[in-house]
Amino acid sequence: MLRGSLALAAAKTVAFPHVVKAAATTATMWFSQGFVQDEDVVLRKIVADYEKASGNKIELSIIPFAPHRQKIISAITSDVVPDIMQSEPNEILQLYAWQDKWVDVSDVVETQRAQFSETALTASQAYNNVTKKRATYGVPLRAAVVPCHIWKSLVEKAAMKVEDLPKTWDAYFDFFKKVQDNLRKQGERKVYGLGFQVTASGVDPYNLFMAFLVAYGGQDVVTKDGKLHLNDPKVKQAAIKAAAYLGGAYRDGYVPPSAINWNDADDNNAFHAKLMVMDVDGTLSTEVAIKEKHPEWYFNEIVTHGVPGYPNDNAGNPVPSIVNITNGLIPKGAKNVTVAKEFLKYFIQPKVIGEFVELGLGRWLPVMPSLAKSPFWQNPKDPHLKGYVQQGLLGPTRPDYYVFNLAMAEVRAQHVWSMPMIEVAREGVKPEVAVDKAFKRIEEIFSKYPMA
Amino acid sequence: MMDTASVVDFGRPAGRRHAVWRFLRGNLKGTEYTWAVAFVVPYAAVFLTFVAYPVVYGVWMGSERGLYPELFADPIYQNTVVNTVLYLAIGVNVKLFLALLLSGFFMRPGWWMKALLLIFVLPWAVPQISTFISIHWMLNGEWGFLNNVLYTLFHVEGPHWLNDRWTALGAVIVSHIWKWTPFWTLILLAGRMAIPLDIRDTARVDGATGLRGFVYITFPLLANLYLICTLLSTIFLLGDFNAVYFVSGGGPANTTHVLATLGIRNAFDIAQPRLGVAAVMSALPLVIPLVIVLMRKLRTAEVQL
Repeated sequence: MLRGSLALAAAKTVAFPHVVKAAATTATMWFSQGFVQDEDVVLRKIVADYEKASGNKIELSIIPFAPHRQKIISAITSDVVPDIMQSEPNEILQLYAWQDKWVDVSDVVETQRAQFSETALTASQAYNNVTKKRATYGVPLRAAVVPCHIWKSLVEKAAMKVEDLPKTWDAYFDFFKKVQDNLRKQGERKVYGLGFQVTASGVDPYNLFMAFLVAYGGQDVVTKDGKLHLNDPKVKQAAIKAAAYLGGAYRDGYVPPSAINWNDADDNNAFHAKLMVMDVDGTLSTEVAIKEKHPEWYFNEIVTHGVPGYPNDNAGNPVPSIVNITNGLIPKGAKNVTVAKEFLKYFIQPKVIGEFVELGLGRWLPVMPSLAKSPFWQNPKDPHLKGYVQQGLLGPTRPDYYVFNLAMAEVRAQHVWSMPMIEVAREGVKPEVAVDKAFKRIEEIFSKYPMA
Repeated sequence: MMDTASVVDFGRPAGRRHAVWRFLRGNLKGTEYTWAVAFVVPYAAVFLTFVAYPVVYGVWMGSERGLYPELFADPIYQNTVVNTVLYLAIGVNVKLFLALLLSGFFMRPGWWMKALLLIFVLPWAVPQISTFISIHWMLNGEWGFLNNVLYTLFHVEGPHWLNDRWTALGAVIVSHIWKWTPFWTLILLAGRMAIPLDIRDTARVDGATGLRGFVYITFPLLANLYLICTLLSTIFLLGDFNAVYFVSGGGPANTTHVLATLGIRNAFDIAQPRLGVAAVMSALPLVIPLVIVLMRKLRTAEVQL
C-alpha cells in the first residue's frame, strides 16, 4: 500500500515536475494585456492548467499596457504588491533590483538553466545597490527584437523586387528611398520610404537608434561590467553616423513628417495605412494585428526583413540584434512566494513556455533556442516567423544595455538618444554637435548610478 | 463605560475641561450630541481617507529637497512652466470671455435659441478622451481631415500642426476652449438669468440698452461670478491632463508638456514618482493664493451674483 502510494506520488512528480500539491493556496499575478486576444487566451489557459494540476489558485489580472506600468510603479512605491508581476516595461527589473525590491529567483531559473538562451539568462540578472552584487531577479518568459516590416506590394508597385534588397546596412535602407522616388514619379503623393520613429515618445525611437548604433560599430557603448564608453572613438563615430542617417532621412523627405511626434502605436497605424513602405518596429505586432482581418496582407503583401534577419553591417559582418526579455518577477512583500515560485517553475517548462508564444500568434519570441526549431516557427508558408526567430534567437543577439547598467533605462525613458535624431531632422543641427550634447546628458545620468 | 467627555478631558484642569466640553457640545442637549457625532464620523472618515491622506502623502512624497534642483535643472521643466502659464492665461481668459459673450447671445428668446443651445453644449457633453483623440487625428499632417480639406478645396498643403511647438500648443489651447466654453457659458447664462427683470427694465427706461446696458448693469452684477469662474477654471486647468496628453502628447520632443502631464511623465515613464509629484507640487505657490482668493470671494456677504 505504502509502496503503491509512493509510486503514485513519483508518477505525479514526473508528469508535473514543478507542481507539488500542497494545501490549496492563492497567489495574485499581474500581466499586460496582449496586442491580440490570443495572447490573453493562452495566458489564461496556462493559469487554468496550473490550477488544475496544483490545486492552487492564481488570481490573474490582465491590465492594458500603460495602466499596468503605472500600477506596478505605484505598487512598488507603496509596498502593496501582488505575488507575481511581469517586467513591464522590461527595465523595471533593473530599476527596482537597484533598490532591493525583488525576491531572488535563481532557484526557479535553475530548473531550466540549460534551456535558456545566454541572452535571456543575462537579462534575468540585475545589480542590487543594497547588496552591491548582481543576482537573478527575473524569470525569462518571452523575448522581442526589432524587425523590419515591409510592404512588398508597394515595393512591387515601384517596379522593384524585395528579392533585390541589398544585404548590407546603408544599401538596405537606401533601397526604400529609391522605392519612394519611384512611387512619387507615379503620382503617389503621400507614401514615404522609411518609417523611422524620429520622436521622443515611447520606446520605439530608442530601439531604432540603438539598432543603428550597433550596426555602425557602437555596440560597446556600455560593457557587461556596467561601464560607459562614450570616449571610445568607435562609439562616438557610430552615434554620429546613426544620428546623421536617421535625421538625414527625415530631413530629405523619406520619413513621414508626422513621425516627429509619433507615439508607439502611431507608426503601426501609419504602416497599416500604407503611409510608408517599411517600418522598423519591435515585435511582430504589426503583422499579427492584421492577420485575422487581412490574411492576404499577412501572407502576400507584407514581409518581415526581406533578407534573413537584419542586414549585415556596411563591412558585411552580421549585426547582433538587441533582445528585450520579458521576465516574471516576485516583489519583496509578496504574500505567497512559495506558490509564486512554483507557478513560475511550471510556466517555464519548455512545453508550456513554447505554447505561450506560439498560441499568442508568434508576436513574441521564445527564450529557449530549442523551441525555435518547432514547425510553428519554421513554417515555410509563413513569410514572417522564420526571419523573426532567426533574428531574435538563432542569429547573433545581445541584451539591452540597461541590463548592464540601470542608467541606460533612464537614458531610454528620458529619450536622450532621440534628441540627436530630432535635432538633425528638424533643426538641421550638425550630427557631431547633437551627439556631443546627448553624450553630456548621458554622462550626467550615469553619474547617478555608481556601481561597485 | 467611558463617557464622551472622558475622550477630551484627560490631563486638563477641571475648569478648562468644562470649557472645552461646552465648546464641543455647543447648544446640543442629551442624545443630540451623540447623533451629531454619528453623522459627522462618516464624513470625517471619508475626508481623512480620500482628501487628507492623499494630500499629506503627496506633500510627503514631494518634500525631499533634492528633488527640486533636479527638477528645475531639467530643460523640459523650464519649457513646461512657460507652456502652463500660456495655457492658463490664454485658455482661461479666452474661454471665459467667449462664454460671457455667448451667454448674452443665448439670453435671446425663442424656441430655436433653446435648440441651438442644446447643440452648443454637445462638445462639453461628449466624452473628452475620444474627442481629443479625434482632434489629434484630425490634425495629422499627412492624412488628417483638416489638411485633406485644405488640399481638396484649395490645393494647399496644410502645415504639420503637431510638429511645431507653437502650433501644437495652440491646438491644445483651442481644443480646451472648444471643449469647455459651453460649460462656462451655461454658468454665466444662469448668472444672467438671475439678474432681476426689474433692474434690467429700469435700466432700459434710463437708456442703458445694448452695450451701455452690458457695461453699466449686466457686467457689474456678473463681475463677482465671472471672477469666481475665472479662479475655478484656473484651478481646474492647472490639473488638466487630457487635452495635452491626447492632442499633442506633450510633443514634439516634449515641448508642449504642462505641469500635469510632466508629472505623469516623470512618475511613470521615467519611473520616478517623487519627481513627478514634485513637478505637480511646484504649482502650489500659484494654487494656494488662488484658493485663498476664491474662498474669500465665496464668503463675500454683499448681495452680488
